[in-house]
Parts: sequence; structure tokens; C-alpha cells
Amino acid sequence: MSAIDFASIKAGDVLPSKSLAVSQQLINEYADICGDYNSIHVDVEGMKNNPMFGGSTIAHGTINVEPVIQALCAIEGVLWPVEGTKVDLQFRAPVKPGFVIASNLVVKDKKTEGGKNILICDMKIQNQQGGDCVMGSAEIVIP
Amino acid sequence: MEKKFNTSLVTNFGPDKLLPDLKFAEMEPGWDCGGGTYKITKEEVDKFAKLMGDANKGEVTVPIGMIYIFGLRICWDRKVFIDGAVRAGDKIVFHKPAKIGDTITTKLSVADKKEVKKEKDGKVRINKFLYVDMNATNQNNEKIVDIQMSFLLPATMQ
Repeated sequence: MSAIDFASIKAGDVLPSKSLAVSQQLINEYADICGDYNSIHVDVEGMKNNPMFGGSTIAHGTINVEPVIQALCAIEGVLWPVEGTKVDLQFRAPVKPGFVIASNLVVKDKKTEGGKNILICDMKIQNQQGGDCVMGSAEIVIP
Repeated sequence: MEKKFNTSLVTNFGPDKLLPDLKFAEMEPGWDCGGGTYKITKEEVDKFAKLMGDANKGEVTVPIGMIYIFGLRICWDRKVFIDGAVRAGDKIVFHKPAKIGDTITTKLSVADKKEVKKEKDGKVRINKFLYVDMNATNQNNEKIVDIQMSFLLPATMQ
């Protein structure tokens, strides 16, 4: 069941958030699942001498998106986003080991279309210092 | 680090000519980049859910994050990620849930391209963007998820 009462929600409301603590171990185990062993993700020693990301490895882009995917499921009260749910995102800054990243969804508008109740939201994924790692928008179908 | 990825999980298919073999002018909408097929097991779902703190612990539904990363695995196999290209963003539309044991097929194709003129410090630069569709369906040909990835291509791209 959805955690949201569509009738009472209004522009400016902040939706429930999900967060993820990113460590090198998490990145390594993620590589074992997806098979992406690009050195920018897993070569800790090699990246120390590489100025590209300040001497650090960075997380896979899909790790950066994980908090918002989990937040969508929690908001909609489902294990898979409801059919018709949309996310439009731009990658803004890399996520590094030691970051705690969290979704930030703020209601901009709402509509009922084709029998579906939809929240239109501004979306961000930020690190623990409030830096924007991912920005965009989401249309969340409330069942 | 020791690589533990089980490459037999994913098979890929498609034309011999790959995206990096093309010039920008040849990257026409509809160009077939190929695709791949995979089946996600309960063991893989449990491993992913535990790692990501996902609420979906070995239930029937596959976490969408797994469809995402297996799709990207196929992108690597089909060389969709051009050397020096920067992944700028994704547009995602969710359809029917993927279930454990489903055979998922991901197809990749060029969706669009554009050139954007940018002026900085009196210098004009043309940024080349490429959009690639990643469409996943199950064994019944039902849509699972559609993702459109956008890339900023390297300045050296002809």
C-alpha cells in the first residue's frame, strides 16, 4: 500500500527518502554482480595517482541512482515501480567511497491521467554534504 | 581485485559492426546495436538485495536495479560505451515487473543524436550528443522497462 495520501498531498511536500552508504567494498561487490570492473571503480591504488576524480575511485552510475529507485518503490508501496512511473535524470557529480547518498523528492504538481494518480516531482540525489550528484524529475504513479 | 562475475549469465547478439566502428554521421536513429539475454536467479537477487539494503529480499520480483545493471552489462558486451564518451543521463519508463526466472531480453538501438553549439571565452565548440535506447522485455514479449541513455561524445569524434 502506498505511503502517500494523494488527495491531501500538495506542491512543496517532501516525499520519504532512502539513503545508501557507499564504500569501496560495496563498489567491489557490485562489480562482481554486474561485471563492470572498470579501473575508475575498482583500482584503488591506480586511481590514487589519477587526478581525474581527486585520487579516488568512483561508484558505478547505477549505484548513484539506487536511492531514488528504492524511494519510488517505498512511496508507491510496491517492489517494482508502478507501470507508467517515469524518471528523467542527469549525472552531475561522481559518488565516491565514504559518501552517504540520499534521494530528495519534492512534489511540484499532481495530476490524474488515464485513471492514474500521478505526482510530478523534482528529484535529486545528494551526498552527506548536500552536494548534488544526480538531478532530474520523476512522475510517480500512486496506486 | 579478483573478478568473480559469472559471464555465462548473459549472452549477447547483434551485428558485427559495433557503434565505435561508426562515424557520427553514420549514427542514424534506428541503428541496431544488438542486445542480450539473461535469466536472473533467486541467488543473484538475494546477493543484490543484501548489498543494496533493498527491501526486496528474495521475493518474486527482481529489483529494478538488477535489470539496470544487467542491461549495462550488455552495453559493455556490445561496446555501446564509446571510449571517451561521458554518460550524461537516463530517461526511464517502468512497465511490468520482472520476476525471478524470467528470460529477459534487452535490445539496444540508436534513438537520436544532436549537435549543440557552445560558446565559452570567445571560443565556439560543438558538443555531440548521442541517445541510445535500452528496451527490456520478458519471454512473453511484455515490456519491462525502457531506458534512454544520453552520452556526450568525445570532442575528437568525427
